[in-house]
Amino acid sequence: MSVLKLENLSYTYHGEQKKVLDELNYDFENGKIYCIMGKSGAGKTTLLSLLSGLTTPTDGKIFFNEQDISHIDKYDYRNRMVGVIFQGYNLLPHLTAEENVQLSMDISGKIFPDKVHHGFKALSKVELGEEKATRRILKLSGGEQQRVAIARALSYDPEIILADEPTGNLDGETQEGIINIFKKLAHEENKCVIIVTHSPEVAKAADVLYELTSVS
Amino acid sequence: MYILKSSIRNVTRNAGRNILIGMIVLVIAISSCIALSIKQSAKQLEATGLSNIQITGSISVDRQSLMTQAKASGTDVQSLMQENQDLTLAEMQNYATSQYVKDFYYTLSSSVSKGSGLEPVSTSKTTTTANATATTNQITSGQTTSGQTPTDNATKVDVPSGMGTQGDFTITGYSGENAMASFVSGTNQVTSGQVFSFDTADMTCLISEELATMNGLSVGSTIQVINPNATTEVYTLTVAGIYNTTTAATNSDNMRFSTASDPANQIYTSYNTLKAIGGQSISVATVGTDTNGNQTTTALRTQENGTYIFADMTAYENFKTDVTTMGLPTAYTVTSTDVTNYENSLLPLQNLNNFATIFLFLVLLIGGSILVVLNILSMRERKYEIGVLTAIGMKKKNVVIQFITEGFIVTILAILLGTGIGAVASVPITNALLSQQITSLQTKQSTQQSNFGRGGGGGSGQPGQAASVTYIQSISSATDITVVMELIGIGILLTVLSSCGAMVFILRYDPLNILSNRS
Repeated sequence: MSVLKLENLSYTYHGEQKKVLDELNYDFENGKIYCIMGKSGAGKTTLLSLLSGLTTPTDGKIFFNEQDISHIDKYDYRNRMVGVIFQGYNLLPHLTAEENVQLSMDISGKIFPDKVHHGFKALSKVELGEEKATRRILKLSGGEQQRVAIARALSYDPEIILADEPTGNLDGETQEGIINIFKKLAHEENKCVIIVTHSPEVAKAADVLYELTSVS
Repeated sequence: MYILKSSIRNVTRNAGRNILIGMIVLVIAISSCIALSIKQSAKQLEATGLSNIQITGSISVDRQSLMTQAKASGTDVQSLMQENQDLTLAEMQNYATSQYVKDFYYTLSSSVSKGSGLEPVSTSKTTTTANATATTNQITSGQTTSGQTPTDNATKVDVPSGMGTQGDFTITGYSGENAMASFVSGTNQVTSGQVFSFDTADMTCLISEELATMNGLSVGSTIQVINPNATTEVYTLTVAGIYNTTTAATNSDNMRFSTASDPANQIYTSYNTLKAIGGQSISVATVGTDTNGNQTTTALRTQENGTYIFADMTAYENFKTDVTTMGLPTAYTVTSTDVTNYENSLLPLQNLNNFATIFLFLVLLIGGSILVVLNILSMRERKYEIGVLTAIGMKKKNVVIQFITEGFIVTILAILLGTGIGAVASVPITNALLSQQITSLQTKQSTQQSNFGRGGGGGSGQPGQAASVTYIQSISSATDITVVMELIGIGILLTVLSSCGAMVFILRYDPLNILSNRS
């Protein structure tokens, strides 16, 4: 059964005539990695914004567990049901890695028996030890920041992980490490992982590949 | 809970920004604390200054009201005055039955001239020019100090119908011990002999040490005083006691028109004694009619004064309305020199209070504006943070609460610090400003006196002049719980006000726009 379903999803930027996305009908299931590929300007990031509830479709619908997300509070949807890994990480620089993770757990409103332990555990999943976890964000490398962003998205145990170019600026070794994390999340923890990427390496790891083409 | 935790963390992590905002609030808090403390002191002194002390009051003819009445009705003021004479003792005693009166006493006062062997104490250049050498039944001179023509015969004295001639001494008869306020307060003190009996007209009196020394008098000596309107009337009093007075007869001497107003020339006796003298004087007085057809008399002029004692200000205020229901005509009014003097003494503090109100308004206006601008700038700076928080699912309402909480933490800390500094600084600052106010008021009055040719004498002066008022010179404490609560109120107001701009920004921001613009 699909956890996320697009039904004739279309999107046009405000004030423009041309559609960026035109009647997309995709299904996303738990336990799989989905890669959405396409050239620049094909609407990959726009699609991710629609899936994460940051913007609303011009036409068509998105269903989360068969419920139209337009009827769900967008903030609750983002802080509990989906975990978004933004292209620019979007971490709060004045906080430590662990505090960034814990803040998301707090915002989700979910109850965790031992919040601190749970936060460190989420970070250890992405191979960040306690020493790195207690550093401020700007004291971490790009790869480490990306891991923190992933840990933050995982911390409150959402069903869907949405990632925008998660390996964009990373070296090969780090890239591989990140891909392995996603594999583990999908195949071992039964999450639905949706990745928007240009990277063929990431695409290779996908169970399902969607190719976006520019609307003519 | 996490919002509070995040707020505290953000305040400590962004020290630079918060110190800047805190400094502005601190300046506002210190200034407001001082201004509010001044206002509170003025309010407290005004409200409570008289609440814990006994108040004395009296009923007198309201001349102002009579004049207004005369003007309105077109009647003669003089005739209205005649119709509304001072209350008689019986009338005064009647009003003393009011439940609000704690105590009532009365005095009888008169002015008498020197008799044989008695010289008034005087430092004035316009003193007596002729001495009375009268025996009991014969008077040769009855010179007054008011510049009137000396007369040899009482029957020749031209006495206006309502007013008598001024004598050398003021003689006051008291109904009881409590009536002698200057002795109760300790301004005057019997140093030799003892006080006269209040119950009988035993013709004994108290005289000042200066008068005793000047005339070589001691306890048991007799003095002779004369009715200034009829120099044949000589009354002999026995000195029961001699008192020492600490009342200053200093720099206003040259302003004094009569030796009778010199503290050393005050003769004190019982009401009964003076009443007896007055009675005897009436019995022997020559009654006539002057050229204007007004009746004249040579009887000793006496003035009865009743003083009501009230437990507190409330009783005094209640008495004012009670006497009206008891039938006091509108031409009379209840006044209290205690209240008037106290109100006058508060003048510099009230001026300071007005200044503090304007100052407070300006501080809040300017400080509040700076805070609003700073907060808007701060929000723009924190745009990314707002974008991230809302993108990861924090509701805008919660973001607003978090930011306002941060504002509150900074504001409250600054307000508390400011209140502490303000509380310490308010007393010396208020006292310094008060001192300036007093100096300014005194200089103004002194200049006015000088302009009217009354001579320099900055703080001294004419009876009835404001300069004679003892101003409240200092305050001992100013910042109280009310001020602290008001400051916290100001803090809340400033935070809410300055957060309004921030709230608009937060509610207007779209996370996707913020984050995509940044990317």
